[in-house]
Amino acid sequence: MSDVIEKSVSVWALRWRRLAADPAALAGLAVLLILIAVCYAAPLFEAWLDVSATETDLLSRFDPPGGGHWLGSDDAGRDEFTRLLTGGQTSLSIGLLGALGSSLLGTIIGAIAGYARGKTDMVLMRITDGVISLPTLPLLIILAALDLSKLGFSQDFIRSGAAGYWRIVLIVTLLGWTGVARLVRAGTLALAEREFVLAARAQGAGSWWILTVHILPNAVSPVIVATTLAMGRVILAESALSFLGVGIQPPQTSWGSMLTNAQELIGTAPELAIYPGLLILISVIAINFLGDGLQAAFDPRSDAR
Amino acid sequence: MTHLIEADNLSVRFAVGGGLFRAKREVQAVSDVSLTLNAGETLALVGESGSGKTSFARALLGLSPISSGTVRFEGRDLAAMSAQDRQTMRRSVQAVFQDPFGSLDPRLPISAIIGEPLRIHGIGTARERDARVAELLELVGLPATAKSRYPHQFSGGQRQRIAIARALAPKPRVIVADEPLSALDVSIQSQILNLFVELRERTGIAFFLISHDLAAVHHLADRVAALYLGRVVESAPRDALYSHPAHPYTRALLDSVPRIGMGKRVPGHALGGEIPSPLAPPPGCHFHPRCRFATERCKAEVPTLRPIATDHLTACHHPLLEAA
Amino acid sequence: MIRFLATRALGAGVTLLVKSFIIFSLIGLMPGDPLDLLIQANPEATPEDVAKLRAIYGVDQPIGERYWSWLTQALHGDFGYSRAQHRPVMEVILPALGNTLILMGLAFVISTIIAVFLGTVAATQKGRLLDRCINLLAYAGISVPSFWLALVLIYLFAVRLGWFPAGGMPQQGEGLHGWAVRLTLPLLALVMVEIGGLTRYARSAMLDVLGQDYIRTSRAKGISTPRLLFRHALRNAMIPIATIIALGFGYLFSGALLIENMFAWRGMGRLILEAIMGNDYNLALVCLLFTTAMILVANILADLAYTWLDPRISLGGRRR
Repeated sequence: MSDVIEKSVSVWALRWRRLAADPAALAGLAVLLILIAVCYAAPLFEAWLDVSATETDLLSRFDPPGGGHWLGSDDAGRDEFTRLLTGGQTSLSIGLLGALGSSLLGTIIGAIAGYARGKTDMVLMRITDGVISLPTLPLLIILAALDLSKLGFSQDFIRSGAAGYWRIVLIVTLLGWTGVARLVRAGTLALAEREFVLAARAQGAGSWWILTVHILPNAVSPVIVATTLAMGRVILAESALSFLGVGIQPPQTSWGSMLTNAQELIGTAPELAIYPGLLILISVIAINFLGDGLQAAFDPRSDAR
Repeated sequence: MTHLIEADNLSVRFAVGGGLFRAKREVQAVSDVSLTLNAGETLALVGESGSGKTSFARALLGLSPISSGTVRFEGRDLAAMSAQDRQTMRRSVQAVFQDPFGSLDPRLPISAIIGEPLRIHGIGTARERDARVAELLELVGLPATAKSRYPHQFSGGQRQRIAIARALAPKPRVIVADEPLSALDVSIQSQILNLFVELRERTGIAFFLISHDLAAVHHLADRVAALYLGRVVESAPRDALYSHPAHPYTRALLDSVPRIGMGKRVPGHALGGEIPSPLAPPPGCHFHPRCRFATERCKAEVPTLRPIATDHLTACHHPLLEAA
Repeated sequence: MIRFLATRALGAGVTLLVKSFIIFSLIGLMPGDPLDLLIQANPEATPEDVAKLRAIYGVDQPIGERYWSWLTQALHGDFGYSRAQHRPVMEVILPALGNTLILMGLAFVISTIIAVFLGTVAATQKGRLLDRCINLLAYAGISVPSFWLALVLIYLFAVRLGWFPAGGMPQQGEGLHGWAVRLTLPLLALVMVEIGGLTRYARSAMLDVLGQDYIRTSRAKGISTPRLLFRHALRNAMIPIATIIALGFGYLFSGALLIENMFAWRGMGRLILEAIMGNDYNLALVCLLFTTAMILVANILADLAYTWLDPRISLGGRRR
């Protein structure tokens, strides 16, 4: 027993240390957290500055910055700054929920395919390939424009703001799970052959135990990275749908929906067309920095990159 | 008397290959193997890689399906057991694998790894399991502080001790150890062997030891069986087998690991050539292409396993004379 | 080779069939089909009238039968009429397809060349300032909402500077100059969006190749760097890059859809959006099928490019 036992350090502590040594990833994380905090502080700003992100005031349309209006007011006289924050709540939370939703669905499908193998695997992977080769954006538009009453939903639900919100989350989930499904399937296939999984089976562990205790926790790193990067893509997709008018519906607002009539504004008040897009750009860059940083932190071999 | 484990004409076949346009082919990994293991006994199964010993072990552990034949545990057929009885059986038959770097989940702390069989079978409360883990760490010679550490912080030998502690956790009747030494340094090998001997003395546990190395198992085995291309070619009490190997294959295996003080050796029995592919086993005695005593009969007729002395069986048309 | 193409074409045909059914069903769920409009226009319609109308339009049939009758007609070359434009669907689609292929084809070629160049430079300058700058550019490319980028370009170059028109198709008689002027901004936007991801892939593919032994050996033997990079390393790096490009075709199309709409470019993307928004569902359906078919063809081309670039791979995808 001459071997020296190092100080106990969990895998996650090591990864956090590697992430903390990556300035771009840390900056991304910081920017993202600040954006989330500030966006959710919108009511505080409204109270403090005595402005409203939602009430129209036709007497003060296109007010220049000044007074309580830090960034002026928009084409309906609403305060632009707090409106950006309110819209940010929608954009960022849809990004998070959509990314989590697609990762969850992808993890379930990938784990089933990789663990069951054989025909189940073949069918599920065929479906995955099929979904991947669909024209994403046109399909998103169709799904976003579907008449929910034809699917049996009540008119009250359809007209509520929640329907528009959750519809986006649902459709990005339905079209976004494929990447994670492939990652998890590959991870599951590889891990199912590892001796620690055989050892668990020999001990009498069932499939559920093996999947949840041994396989998924060991396959989770690429999923975390993929989820982070997916959040950026979901934010972009939501903005495009809302911009086209099939996403977030008034009175709810998001960065994308704030750009709906940006094309008309570009001649009169270009800054109103610039701010929301700039915030989308900043948050998605931050997310991508963070995602790549996580990837490097999870995979020591990529240190060379 | 009922045996602890009894394999009766056990066969394991795998389908390999098989694409869209290619037929699947069948590999006979284990053919009609009958072996018994008694309580507290140590049986070593030896053979080159590709001889089917790992497939046999996996079939015993329920990790690969049995194609034909039966496995009985304490006299009861595994295939006929209820799910609940099978779980009970799994508690009694534990495994140690070859690669101590692969057999421990890298994400779990040692306490969770050793406690896993207890949690799977719902044995004890959390506190009792903690106490058992501490007890097991001491039993395999690791410090109590090891429980909160992770596998990557241990050396190969230490990891194998952890794997052994895990196997011991549910107080099994037998440990199936598949090449538990071959991934370790020679100096560590003897430490682990000594640990096995000590465990056997302290707990009366039986071992089913699988190895390619006859020298390594000499220390531990009560009986030895040699496997060649899925068939048992010789089975005997340890001393009889080491001093009077009857099958040319066993003889060659012994010669390939010269050791001092293990009987006289006729030089020139070393094993030439390579083990044939189990996809296309030679006809007759599988060993005949590599056997210097092979005759026409060996090429045509499969030898059956028959006794040549008390407890000493061999499957050879021309057993070596000194065996008698 | 022929057998490979036949197998792939057959597979693609089956995929297309399945997808056409899915899209057909989805479009049946869109609001404002002809029947809805008629019923809305006539508030006194009784349930019996509605049932009669449903029978006339055939929407009382189960979805499977409706799809089957649509499919048999389509297989005979009859894709039906565009409801909004009162012309056969194919007559509407073909010019739009041409316009899209011009825009996407040019964007594809230009962005591939720029991305491979930038990726190669970044890989050789790994960790230095130039690499970091290119990296930042690539991040911006994958992170920017393409429609917003188009807005910014319109604002800068059309509204403020007035160098280019804000959008629209070249008119008759504008000639090549007209095309060049009107294509510049949409192309610029599409290329900027597209090179982000491609540059990152090109860089990492190049890094993989440059790390391999034979490149280090050649370098040690004194083969000049540009020659080494562009003759030897690039050819190997092109294999993963080609796959990404072809698989990214759908992505490029999504980008093109938004950008065509921003610049009023009469392509497939704009046509699809107009068809969906204008309840012209037969047109939308056929447009989507065309798009899906293009993506499938791109994937087959990717496989062909693969074999052409890597002699070790035989058609069928197995390594020798």
